[in-house]
Amino acid sequence: MKVTVRLIGGFVYTLGFRERELELPPGTTVAQLLDAIAIDRTRPVIVGRNGWAIDLVEELCEGDRILVSPVFSGG
Amino acid sequence: MDGWTGQFLRVNLTSRTFRIETFSEEFAHTWIGGRGFAVKILYDELAPGIDPLGPDNKLVVAVGPISGIPAPNTGKTIVAAKSPATGGYGDGNLGTRVTDQLRKAGYDALIVEGRADRPTLLSIHDDRVEFLPADEVWGKGTMETNDWIYARYGKGVGVLNIGQAGENMVRFAVVRSLEGRSGGRPGMGAVMGSKLLKAIVVKGSKPIPQAFPVAMKELGRDDLRTVHAMDKEAAWSIQGTTGVLPWCNEVAALPVHNFRGTHHPDAWKVDGERVHAARVATYGCPNCTMRCGIGIPDDEGREAEVDYENIGLLGPNLDLFDLPQVAALNYLCDDYGLDTISAGGVLGFYADAIERGAVSGDLRFGDAAGFKKVLGMIARREGQIGNLLAEGTLRAARAFGHGSEDYAMQVKGLEISAYNCKFIPGMALAFGVSPIGAHHKESWIITFEVKQTTRGSYGRDKAQKIVDLQRIRGGLFESIVTCRFPWVELGWGVEHYPTYFNTITGSDWKLEDFWPISDRIYALMKLFWLREYPQTDRSADFPPAAWFDPANADTEGPIAGMHLDREQYDGMLQHYYDIRGYDTRGVPTRATLESLGLGVEAVAAEAYVTLR
Ligand code: SF4
Repeated sequence: MKVTVRLIGGFVYTLGFRERELELPPGTTVAQLLDAIAIDRTRPVIVGRNGWAIDLVEELCEGDRILVSPVFSGG
Repeated sequence: MDGWTGQFLRVNLTSRTFRIETFSEEFAHTWIGGRGFAVKILYDELAPGIDPLGPDNKLVVAVGPISGIPAPNTGKTIVAAKSPATGGYGDGNLGTRVTDQLRKAGYDALIVEGRADRPTLLSIHDDRVEFLPADEVWGKGTMETNDWIYARYGKGVGVLNIGQAGENMVRFAVVRSLEGRSGGRPGMGAVMGSKLLKAIVVKGSKPIPQAFPVAMKELGRDDLRTVHAMDKEAAWSIQGTTGVLPWCNEVAALPVHNFRGTHHPDAWKVDGERVHAARVATYGCPNCTMRCGIGIPDDEGREAEVDYENIGLLGPNLDLFDLPQVAALNYLCDDYGLDTISAGGVLGFYADAIERGAVSGDLRFGDAAGFKKVLGMIARREGQIGNLLAEGTLRAARAFGHGSEDYAMQVKGLEISAYNCKFIPGMALAFGVSPIGAHHKESWIITFEVKQTTRGSYGRDKAQKIVDLQRIRGGLFESIVTCRFPWVELGWGVEHYPTYFNTITGSDWKLEDFWPISDRIYALMKLFWLREYPQTDRSADFPPAAWFDPANADTEGPIAGMHLDREQYDGMLQHYYDIRGYDTRGVPTRATLESLGLGVEAVAAEAYVTLR
């Protein structure tokens, strides 16, 4: 299945891309996706699917747009 | 007294006199400093009902015990007064060299009273206070004024100044410092202007009293290095706060078209990556190793310092997606000394009111030249429209009528910062109960809301989180006075701050010792408002009607068809009151006030509100 990952803020520089379409096996969870793109999980991360929070154990679906962001405290 | 100078400087511009006053250790431990000192002074000294733009208002410039001591992000100062925008308590913080210079001059707060008889520069050099003419720069922008001051005093002095907006008492004029720092959204610049006070210059030469200066020097130096390394690792300051923009766009929280939209396909054109790519300079506050001020060229080649809030409100909120154009509006606001958030809110509201026929005019969304022109009219209070918009969205809406108050995006008279809460109930409540009107600095709950809870819920957990965040951000950080960014953005633990506090003051406080003080500060801010508006009820803590309006809901995207629910919001508001010990009107109960050490204030409060 295909999912799109959109990185925010510092992740764009630490991982070297902003947006990427990934081909993943069905049943891939959010946590597995984060490992696949080598996100540093020692820091808090916000993961959203189409604008809504999504749990690390949840499975991804075909066509998902996954937002991976550091936490912010506002502008 | 270790950690505090133990002195206030009181200056009267009318009589051109000054007095050095002392305060006790008990006072210091009760109110800490910064916002705590400011609200206590203003509550005790201002008569209710005074004109915030008259000589009876007072401007308080206050620092805290860790202010100015080299340690992560301690370069901030609080400016406070009765707010011309809201009529309630108003304050803000800004990075400035005033922070350490005021302390080195021997003061933890400066209280400015009265009104000068001509444009004045207040010069403070230790115990020497001078009232100098500033006619030469009256009518000039903040950039030229700053240069004029640097040319006379050098760059090492602390400076606070205002532009034309402050001089003309625009109700959302700010105080400015350094190359691009602003503070005091609720009209603190207008208060300076009303006193004909163009600038304050501070120079000090004394050591700041500390319990363990050697230990603090080492600790501060090590921690500044660590925070710098953490920032490099997280790559936060590459985009600084502008990194928030694409996030808001993705989660449908961006203000677009006067908050009518929540996301836009062109938002990427003004996001953090584009800002970083356009960078020509980097700025920061004193004592900061994660400098987040990004200078970019505007459409006339001038350098504008941008951050998320001003891009959000002066960009997408006005349907502008050309970065140099957005930067130009930002530059003008900074030079006039206008708050960028409120300016973007006012311009968006005006364009919306024209579009909806509430008022006639030529301005259209997306018209960069038109917005520039109107900004100038506001700063100069030029013509009927410039003069009216200078009053802010709420007063302008009342003048326009035709239901425009429903989409005047403000709470209590202060324009909403760049987070569109059409369907973010907790953040909407955070704006609703912010003690200075709608501001994100008190409690930025969106992260928690989108990450750890159901976005559309109205539970007690959200109200509790708002209180928790207010205690840290609005209480602890605003009274010891420090920048909030290392804490969340880099994960720099909040427990570091009691360590700094203890090392500087010789105390042995734990983090939880700060919470009652924080609650005391919030309760006194609330009493300030109640004294000004005794008839206030809980409706004052509601956000604008547009967020509850089904007709205003998004028609596509992640929150299509969704809007806030008034009844459920009211329930969440009650949770907030319950947690804070306020009654159903939002008034602190007598027991709450007494438990916070505000028994005397409770008795006095009975003169204008019945306590339950
Ligand atoms: S992080 Fe930004 S706002 Fe905070 S102290 Fe540093 S430069 Fe100032």
